[in-house]
Amino acid sequence: MTTSPQARRSARPQDSAVLHTYETLIVGAGFAGLGSAIRLRRAGIRDIVILERGNAVGGTWRDNQYPGAACDIPSNLYSYSFAPNPEWSRAYSGSREILSYIGSLVRQYELAPLIRFGQEVIELAFDKASRRWLAKTAAGQTYGARTVVMAQGPLSNARFPDMPGIGCFEGHKIHSARWDHGYDFAGKRVAVIGTGASAIQIIPEMVKQAGFVKVFQRTPGWVLPRPDYGTPDWMRALFRRAPAAQSALRQVLYGAHESMATGLIWRTPASGLLEQVARLHLRSQVQDDWMRRQLTPDHRIGCKRVLVSNDYYPSLQQPNAKLITWPIATLSPRGIRTVEGVEHQADCIVFATGFDVSKTGTPFPVHGLGGRLLSEEWQRGAQAYRSVSVAGYPNLFFTFGPNSGPGHNSALVYLESQIDYIVQGVRLVIERDLKWLDVHEGAQQRYNAAIQRRLAGTNWNSGCKSWYLTGDGFNGTMYPGFATQYRLQMRRLPQRDYSLVR
Amino acid sequence: MQLDLEKMRDRIKASQWALADIDWDAPGRERVTENPELYAKLKAFMADLMWIEHVGARGFAAMAKKAPNDTLREIYTYFHAEEQRHANAEMALMQRWGMLDGEGLPEPNINIRLVVEWLDAYADEMPLSVLGSVIPMLEITLDGALCKFLLDTVDDPVCHAAFDKINADEARHLGVDFHVLEMLGHGPIYRQTLDMAGRLIDPRLLMGILAYLPLLNRMRDNLVELGLKENKLYEAIAKYKRVGGTPGGRRNPWFQLISRQGAWVIDRKNVFYHAPVDALVRLTGKIPPRLLPQIPSWVHELTWKPTA
Repeated sequence: MTTSPQARRSARPQDSAVLHTYETLIVGAGFAGLGSAIRLRRAGIRDIVILERGNAVGGTWRDNQYPGAACDIPSNLYSYSFAPNPEWSRAYSGSREILSYIGSLVRQYELAPLIRFGQEVIELAFDKASRRWLAKTAAGQTYGARTVVMAQGPLSNARFPDMPGIGCFEGHKIHSARWDHGYDFAGKRVAVIGTGASAIQIIPEMVKQAGFVKVFQRTPGWVLPRPDYGTPDWMRALFRRAPAAQSALRQVLYGAHESMATGLIWRTPASGLLEQVARLHLRSQVQDDWMRRQLTPDHRIGCKRVLVSNDYYPSLQQPNAKLITWPIATLSPRGIRTVEGVEHQADCIVFATGFDVSKTGTPFPVHGLGGRLLSEEWQRGAQAYRSVSVAGYPNLFFTFGPNSGPGHNSALVYLESQIDYIVQGVRLVIERDLKWLDVHEGAQQRYNAAIQRRLAGTNWNSGCKSWYLTGDGFNGTMYPGFATQYRLQMRRLPQRDYSLVR
Repeated sequence: MQLDLEKMRDRIKASQWALADIDWDAPGRERVTENPELYAKLKAFMADLMWIEHVGARGFAAMAKKAPNDTLREIYTYFHAEEQRHANAEMALMQRWGMLDGEGLPEPNINIRLVVEWLDAYADEMPLSVLGSVIPMLEITLDGALCKFLLDTVDDPVCHAAFDKINADEARHLGVDFHVLEMLGHGPIYRQTLDMAGRLIDPRLLMGILAYLPLLNRMRDNLVELGLKENKLYEAIAKYKRVGGTPGGRRNPWFQLISRQGAWVIDRKNVFYHAPVDALVRLTGKIPPRLLPQIPSWVHELTWKPTA
């Protein structure tokens, strides 16, 4: 092994005999993939490759560029603590600004040379003999690596919903996560299907741009007001000069979001209080009794994702907007037929219907020890050890893995602690030259039994349907606790729960 | 009457139709419009019918909030919309027959209006036991009897085409209605009776009863005025007792109360019932329209236009 990394990388990777084995292979160049690369390099892991299926970095934030796209969490908390950005223009930044923050990470940490664009992983398999993972890509290439970080993103696959008649609609169809920036909405009749987190950001923008907007709602969500403001110049200047001030603000925001957990995750008096805030918000913005009834959720707050918006309710009441709560019977060539018998004609349908959340597996087959297949093991719901490791899949680490989702705090806080945990794992494998590091089956089972026991008492499992649950009602998505609890459990990788094979 | 609610829900979803499926300009309208005697009667009748559907719709909307499981909730959400579809289709027939004055909605009679007001104000707060017992009565008597009369009297093919679809929907509604009526009879009778006794002193429910009783007598009077045999209505009321009178249904005290009241309605000689209720009909007829609150906004969702 005397060739330089450059020479090794240029070797044709198809021939497995001469295939270069990276120290770490990262799937995806979004927040998780890039963050992992930064931290791994800082820990001394230098030989890294990032496989990205698109031709730009940014993942979810690259894909979700619909009008009005923004983050529900204040930017000072929805960013890496090790890479603060004093220049956020607003409390809650739009997706373009978040994307350019991600771009700045690539520049600042010189990640570009690690990234292979246009490499969509289609299969990942552990080769016991050569004790490495082999990743096949759609472009026909194979990459080998000692360790793998799965950072393909939980919300990366958008698709049109399975609606009757969807194939026969002759107008224009747009998915929120694959926005068509070339389409001119001026004067058009637009139907928006869905009233979730993306929809309530899109709708106010559509109402501004389009001729007439009809919003098709199935289930209303709880909407809390969003304390948004433009960042004053003095604040930016302060953050530039005194980074401690910015991290202090981050701590305050973190604490405020942590306190929301008591109401959002469990049914407590705080839930009632939050519901009351949401009701007051609705009452102050919607005068009509019937419309308020249509917009009032039946489920308890926290069961589905909580929405934040100041302009969603007002936009629904504009003269060129209408909320429709009749169930959709079918799509027709000219529009949407609802059960009250009316065909709502539209030039364009915007589907803000969400993503394929991988509840039963990953977007591509992953073969572990002895050829075991992850999607088979996860058929009845995904589970992992501390959301990162899965028994039988050595040297493989998940970001945003099973039961790592927050309902009340910044996903990046969770992500950061996953990354630090993964760094410990990767270092163990590389520095001790392990054949593999594999979590004990028993430890994983005990961990999950405890997680499921704790989940049973949460709002997510309180009876509503949501993307957090599988069709059978299994919750393999959310972490039942405070972010602080999660961070504590992720602080150290407990070697006693893993087999370290030399 | 036991049925598999999930299969029923799938059947409902598979049986959807839209106003656009019917050719509202097909020949045959003259069979109504060129019959002056029928025309005049039919105009008031259709308005009542349309409003009754609308009342049913609002009832189902309230029931969707009370449904004990997701499947039933979804079914009621569909029924809410389907009743609205029936009202829309009936309005489309009125439009076909030139019975709509401009864009405006036909006026409901005062008793329907009072029921609409009550539903809007209190239905969401009523338990499923009340709503689930009274809605089948409304559906079977008013909806059922009125539709039957219409089809016996009118031979416009478009009207028949529309009502073929409406009646197929209604058959499913009744299937679910009576399934729920039976379901509501489960549990100890003493507890159900105590629960009912408690509800009956709820002033909101008493107001509902005060709105509901004169409605049946008003509709009877209207039918008689149209030259109809009131027996058709009575047959339908008797049907409620017959179909709902399953072992489970009979255990439901609300069913007992409503079917007993139905028997009183049928018995014209029962002065103890009819004298006060007819007085209520006359009394409500004297309420000046300006005293009524503004029509709730969901009423304006009615439309005869197949596309929007």
